[in-house]
Parts: sequence; structure tokens; C-alpha cells
Amino acid sequence: MDHGMQRPTTLESLPTGRSAQHAVVDQARQALGTIILGKDEQISLALACLLARGHLLIEDLPGLGKTMLAQALARVLGLSFRRIQFTSDLLPADIIGVSIFRPESGEFEFQPGPVFSQLILADEVNRATPKTQSALLEAMEEQQVSVDGSTRQLPTPFFVVATQNPGDQIGTFPLPESQLDRFLMRVEIGYPDEQSERELIAGEDRRLMLKDLAAVTAPEMLTALQSAVREIPITDALVSYVQALVRHTRESADIEIGLSPRGAQALVAAARAYAFVENHSGVYPDDVQAVFSSVAGHRLKPAGSTRFRSPAELCQHVLDSVAIP
Amino acid sequence: MVRPRGTDGALLSSLPWTLMALVFSLAPHVPFIPIWITAAFLGCAGWRYVIEKQRRALPGTWVRALLALGCFLGVLATYGGISGVGPGSALLAIMAALKLLETRKRRDQFVLLFLSIFLVMSSLLREQYLWSLPYMLLSILVVMTAWLRMSAGKSQTARQSFATGGRLLMYAAPLAIVMWIFFPRISTPFWAVPIDTSRASSGISDTMSPGDISQLSMSDEVAFRVSFDGAIPEPRDRYWRGLVLTRFNGRTWSAREPGISRFARDQIEIIGERVDYNITLEPTRQQWLFALDMPYTWSLSKTFMGPQQQLARSIPIDQRISYNATSYTDYRVQTDLSRQYRIWYSDLPEGSNPRTAELAREMRAAAGSDRAFVNAVLDKLNQEEYYYTLEPPPLGSNPVDRFLFETRRGFCEHYASAFSVMMRSAGIPTRIVLGYHGGELNPMGGHLTVRQSDAHAWTEIWIADLGWHRVDPTAAVAPERIEMSASDAAFDGIRAAWGFTAPSRLLHQMALTWDALNTKWNEWILGYGPETQNSFMQWLGMNEPSWRKMLLTLVCLVIGIIMLISVILMVRYRPPAKDAAAIHYQRFVKKTGLDPQTGETPCVFALRAQEAGIIPSEAVAAITEAYMVARYGPGGDTSLERLKHAVSAIG
Repeated sequence: MDHGMQRPTTLESLPTGRSAQHAVVDQARQALGTIILGKDEQISLALACLLARGHLLIEDLPGLGKTMLAQALARVLGLSFRRIQFTSDLLPADIIGVSIFRPESGEFEFQPGPVFSQLILADEVNRATPKTQSALLEAMEEQQVSVDGSTRQLPTPFFVVATQNPGDQIGTFPLPESQLDRFLMRVEIGYPDEQSERELIAGEDRRLMLKDLAAVTAPEMLTALQSAVREIPITDALVSYVQALVRHTRESADIEIGLSPRGAQALVAAARAYAFVENHSGVYPDDVQAVFSSVAGHRLKPAGSTRFRSPAELCQHVLDSVAIP
Repeated sequence: MVRPRGTDGALLSSLPWTLMALVFSLAPHVPFIPIWITAAFLGCAGWRYVIEKQRRALPGTWVRALLALGCFLGVLATYGGISGVGPGSALLAIMAALKLLETRKRRDQFVLLFLSIFLVMSSLLREQYLWSLPYMLLSILVVMTAWLRMSAGKSQTARQSFATGGRLLMYAAPLAIVMWIFFPRISTPFWAVPIDTSRASSGISDTMSPGDISQLSMSDEVAFRVSFDGAIPEPRDRYWRGLVLTRFNGRTWSAREPGISRFARDQIEIIGERVDYNITLEPTRQQWLFALDMPYTWSLSKTFMGPQQQLARSIPIDQRISYNATSYTDYRVQTDLSRQYRIWYSDLPEGSNPRTAELAREMRAAAGSDRAFVNAVLDKLNQEEYYYTLEPPPLGSNPVDRFLFETRRGFCEHYASAFSVMMRSAGIPTRIVLGYHGGELNPMGGHLTVRQSDAHAWTEIWIADLGWHRVDPTAAVAPERIEMSASDAAFDGIRAAWGFTAPSRLLHQMALTWDALNTKWNEWILGYGPETQNSFMQWLGMNEPSWRKMLLTLVCLVIGIIMLISVILMVRYRPPAKDAAAIHYQRFVKKTGLDPQTGETPCVFALRAQEAGIIPSEAVAAITEAYMVARYGPGGDTSLERLKHAVSAIG
């Protein structure tokens, strides 16, 4: 495949204006929309998550397009992609790589594992043992791995998209809260609506379509977009709103453990990226509300007596209880 | 690695405020402490500021230790001790100055500000004037501002800190007032405020040597203030009796030690109307009390009447005191005087003032009776060339002779002394009364202010059947001195000398107003002692006020006030002021006729508003867009203008 025409590779040719940058994001969004039907919100969230330099956790039942979303993201953003299927016998070395003795040179040579890619799909991350999980999570946090006493830098940008099956309780090791914190967002995909499902059933095979999907951007471009996201202004009014939300999660009787300051930072970072995706002039309360459930859902610990059945419901309740300044 | 020894300049922003707080709290002490301490303080303050400004190192331990020792010895040498108000406040000032030199952190600044509050308080040990209160409040405000400046963020201006300090003071004010009213006053305090003995005592001395003083100072200081229950007596009756001089050694008249007499009050035979009044006496550090001639009853503990009807207290008057008294301006005293006393009261030393004695005997023989003799002497003073002056020539030995026959110039003491010597030479019992005469009526306060310049001396002679009878020889020489008060006379002089009246009259008016305010201050604030508190409590409806009841009331009120202030603060709490964009947007929200729900963003609300259809959809979109940019976006005036116009357009 030749994507030469669409892939700007030098910094000089990068679009710099805000509208041009947003055009790139919009193209990516549309391209993803042709593969994942009727899931515009999830697509925007996933894009925002990557633009905010965060890692993404997709949690849903099998067959709803988790893997498809991750693959499409890698394609559209022009990132090198590797998929790791997590199983209970997966070892840390299977992810990071191993040093192999080369008899001809008489030296150990490091064979990089699948983690040395720009976008990694960690499929069913909760099937692996905690030891293996933490090897990945270390890499996510530090963007580097240590093998045989030497530190090796992972590529930039570096994203982990992990998937998790919620219903599967047998033979799984659910991620503890502290490790869930490493993911900026947790997104649920859910069933497609009727119209979208019709198209999926009747239409072209999405796997084949994926192969033809063109990249709209390149890693350098993505880095520039990420920097642009950080320049979106945050007003006092918005900070007050975020603070009010965070305070409410800490004081609410329905929530045992509220958002930490790191959680609040994550909320602002995600809202910034979402505002960028939505092409807002600043971060609006709508942006905070849009990302709130994804950012806060896996960071809150609901109280045992809570009347809310899902984290999403709980988050919506928080949004409905806090006035916008 | 060598540790950098300089300061890091972190205190640079708050240090000037700390220094200012110290200057404010030290200022009232400056007139009383030695000049070198003030200089040392200013030097240390300047030094410390330069250190901070130029990131120099603070002086070393040895330098500081030497300075501390030197200053301590300096205070010891200046005062000869370290106890008392004077050395105490001098030490406080020195401590503040030296503490500056080891102020490294915020904690040290706290210590400095505590010191300055202590300095403010200790200034009350010296003076409690009316202007002290506003000045103290200002000082405390500056200290609190300095306090707030230490923790102020960069965005907070000094003016905001000042306002916060003021607000905190306002919250504290009701508590302070309640504590002042209800904290039980005890007549014998557990503690005693040490008296600053370094100040010279003012007022009337208990001896009188006419001719020794060649210039009588016209001190404007207030001696006492009087408020009358009824009519104010005529100026010629305003003789404020103080002490009585009975012994003369040829030069000096002297009083006996204050002593109690069981008969003195019984010797008074009252005739006319009673005069009730209240006197607020400034501290004299003497035992004599002043009362309108002739005092009959008085309400002050430890006070008694001496054998010559003079009032005295068994303890010196170290603080301003207030007492009620009743006097009779028309009276007769001791119509019956034993022969022994008659001789004692007309005793003169052998051979002193011989010419005066000779003249008196001649005039007595010519007059025929005691009364005629008295009138003849007064006539002589009136008609011959005698002058009233405040700057008489010195008299030397046999002062009365020299005064009567040569200099012929003097003030009340000279005339009283000369008259008494003549009376005694003729065998008429005579005594000299020292006190004040006159007093200035303050039309604003309705009270009489008696100043040190109103000090006066007059005589009392004993005449059979009439008893002790007041004769004021000064009145014979300078009747206007008696009709007006001395300060009025002086005021006329000033007016004449300057040749204009209006400014001086205005000044005089201002002085009167100030004096009236001072009187109320003394009466209501400083005079709020155990008795006043008791009567005030009874007026409030407390039966048999005791310190337990007052303390209980105090505690209840303090708790109540704190709760009240908390409630007010909670009720008055508003979320931070909305900006201009929010105010315009609220106008729009009102016009839509819808209530935004909690957590509903403006964009979602816009959809609802468009559905409701009261306001055109385009206008709703435009307003919401402009509002979001103005409030949450990069802002700028253009979006705010757009919002303003869009909102104005719809209604």
C-alpha cells in the first residue's frame, strides 16, 4: 500500500493553524466512523484519549468491536500496531522481549517484544496473571522497559489500548484500582443501534475495509496535535466546575472513594482533548461532562449501599447534582 | 560545597509590612523611651531591610549576642533597673529591634508581630487618652495586614489584605465590647499597674514660697473637670478648696500632713442651697482632693476631711478618679475658736518681715476694729500701686517686706502671703487655702474644665461670730482675675497680640469640642470602674450583680455573638462573584422563561430554549456561543460585546 501522498512526514509540512489541525482530527473521526458504525461518541472519546496522551481501556462483551476500534485507530493515525492476546500463561518476557544467546557472535542479543510498538492492543488484559499485567502497566507508566539491567526506551507516541470482558469472572484477574488509574479513560462500546446493525450485517466485511483504510496523519503530526491540545485555555469558571465535581465525589454518600487530585488532573486533560476534538474555543462544561463518565467511572469506588447499578449511572448522577458556575 | 549564607529574599514582599507594624506599635513609646533605643530600632530595621534586598547574610551569632548584651546594659544604665513600665517597654523595643536581625523565616515574623501587639498594649500603661483608641485600632489593623501579607498570594493586593484585616476587626468588635462591659471589675485588682515614676508630678505642691518662683507657668493641662447636677455656681463662688497652709517660717508657708479630724465636718454650719456635682480628677500623685468651697458630703472611699476642712485620701491619686460631692457656697465654719488656737493661727516667726509687722500694727490701731482693719488692708492693696503679674521679680529674704514696699508685683501667692502676714501681725487668726479658682464652662459638654493655670491661693481669716471667713486679696488687686478665669484672661491677651479674632475663636471652639469629647471619654470609658459597672448591671436588670453572674453573662454573650457572626457569615456567603459574561447570560436565561437544571450545560439548555421557542433559535444559538467563548473560551472583549448585543437585541 502506498500512502505517500497522504502521509506528511516532515514537520514543515504539518498544518499549524487550529482549523487545519481540527480538519485532521475530523478526517480521522470520519474514517473511524466508516468502520465502527453508530459509535460516534466512543470514537471521539478514543481520539480524545490518545490526543491527551492517555491510555485507553475498552470494556465490553466480546464481539462488539473492541479490537476493531483499536486496529482502526492505529491505521487512521498511522501508528505501528501490535496485538497481544493476554492469556493466563502469558509471561512478562512475552510482552517485553528476551535476550537470546547468539553462538555466532558469542553475545546475547535483545529480541524486542510486541511492546515496542506505537499502539498496542492488549486484548483481554484481565486474563493474564498480575505479574504479567504489571509488566505492561510499568511500560505504560514509564514509557520504557528494563531488560537484563539495561533500560530501553519505547517508541513515541506510545499508546496502550486494553480490552476487558466484564462478565467473565472465571479465570480472570481483575485489574486493581491502582492499576486502573493508569488508564486515562475506560470506554464501553455497547450494542449498535438498529440502523447501524443492519448496515453491519448487510454491508462489506469490516476486516477487509480496515485493510483499505488510509492514514490521515502520522506520528509527528500526532505529537503536534497533542501539543496543541495542551494550549487550549482553561478558565477559572471551568476550574471551579471541576473542583465542584471532584468535591462532590468525595462528599457524596453514594461514593466511598472519590476522585484524587490525579483524577482531577486527568479529568481536565481529557476534557481539553475532547474540546479539541469538538473544535471548541475553550474547554466547555459540556466537554467535562462528555468525558466525566469515562474518566471517573473506573476511578470511583461506589459505596456498598449505592442505588446505582453501573458506574455510568453514578457518574451521571454526579453530573446532575453539581451546578455549573 | 559551601552553603550560600545570604538570605533568599523570600521575605522581601512581607518584610516592609512587618517593619511598618513595628513602627506603628513603637511610635507611642518614642516620647518616653531614651532616644538611643529609637535610633537602635530604626538602625536595625534599615539594616535588616538592606540585608533582604541585597541578599546579604544575617549578622553572626557573636555580633547578635554582643548587641543584645550591650543594649541590655544600656537599658540598665539608663533606668538603673529593669522593672517598671519605662525599662519594660524599652526592653520590648530593643527585643523587637534585635529579633529583626535573626528573622529568617515566617515563624520569626510571627514572633515580631506578637511583639508589636504587646507593644501596642503596653502603650496603654502610659496613657489612655481619647486619641489612643483610634490609634491603637489603626496599629492593630496594620499588624493584621502585615500578618495577612505573609501568607498572601501574588494576586492579592495590599489593599485587599488591609480590607480583610478590617473585616476581621469588625467581627471581633462586638466581642471586645461585650467583654469590656461584662468582664467583672474588681475594686482591689489582683494586679497593679506599675506607675511610671519617671514623669514629674504636676499640680499643687504642699508648700508655698512666694518670691522663689519668678515665673508661673501657664500650663494648659487639665486639673479636673466638674459636671453639676443643677445650676452652675457663679464665677465668684467657684473656689475649689484643696489644701490649707497654716505654718509660716518667714519665707515659706507649709501644710501639715493630711490627717483626719473628727470635728472638722461638725464645725461647718450650712446656710444656703446645696450644690451637687461630680469631679473627675486627673492623677496628681498627691493625697489632696479638690471640692467646691465648702464641701459637706463626698462619695469616695478612703477619703476624709482634715482639721481645716480640707479633703484628703489615704492613698495618693495615681489614676484618674471620679467622685460625687455636695457643697454649700454659703456657710459658716467654726464660729468658736479656742484661745490656744487663736494664738496658733496667728503665729509668726520672731523678727521676720519687720516692716510689714510694724505697718500692720499701725493700721490695726488706726482702724479700731478687726473688720475695719481688714477692709483697710484690702483698700491699700486696691488703691495703691500693686500689680498683678505672672512674672514677678524675685524677693530674697524677708520676702513680704520686699514685696509690699519695693517690688509691688506678684500673683495670688504673693498677695495671699502678704495679706496673711499682716493679719497675723495684728493678731487675727489666718490661714492660706491652696486650690483652684474659676474654670472654663464648656457649652458643649455642659461641664466646667479647671486647668493647672487656674491654680489659686486665697486666705481665710477668723472673726468672732463669723468663723473662718474667705478673703481673696488677689481680688482686691486684680478683680478681673476673679471674675474671669486665668485662662480666659490669657486668651484675651493672645487675641489682642495677634490682632484678629476669627481663627483664634475657631481654634477655641475646636478646643472646647475636644475637651467635651474628652470629658465623655473619661466619664464613660475610663471611668467605667466597679461602681459604674454595678449600677450599669442593675440598670440592665441584673439583681445583685456579682462577678459570677457577670462572668456567666459574659460567657453566654460571647458564645451567642460567635454563633450569630457564624450564622451571618454562612447566610451571607455567595459563590465567587460572577463575571460580566455570566451576568448577561443570566438576563438571557430569565427571558427564556425556563429554569436551568442543576448540571445542565448552557449548550443543553440552549436546545431546550430553542424548543420552547420564546426566543428565536438563532438568537439562542448566538447568545450561547458568545457566552461560551466569553466565559470558557479565550474570552476577550469582542465575545463579551457580542454577548451584550445579542442579549440586548432580544428584549
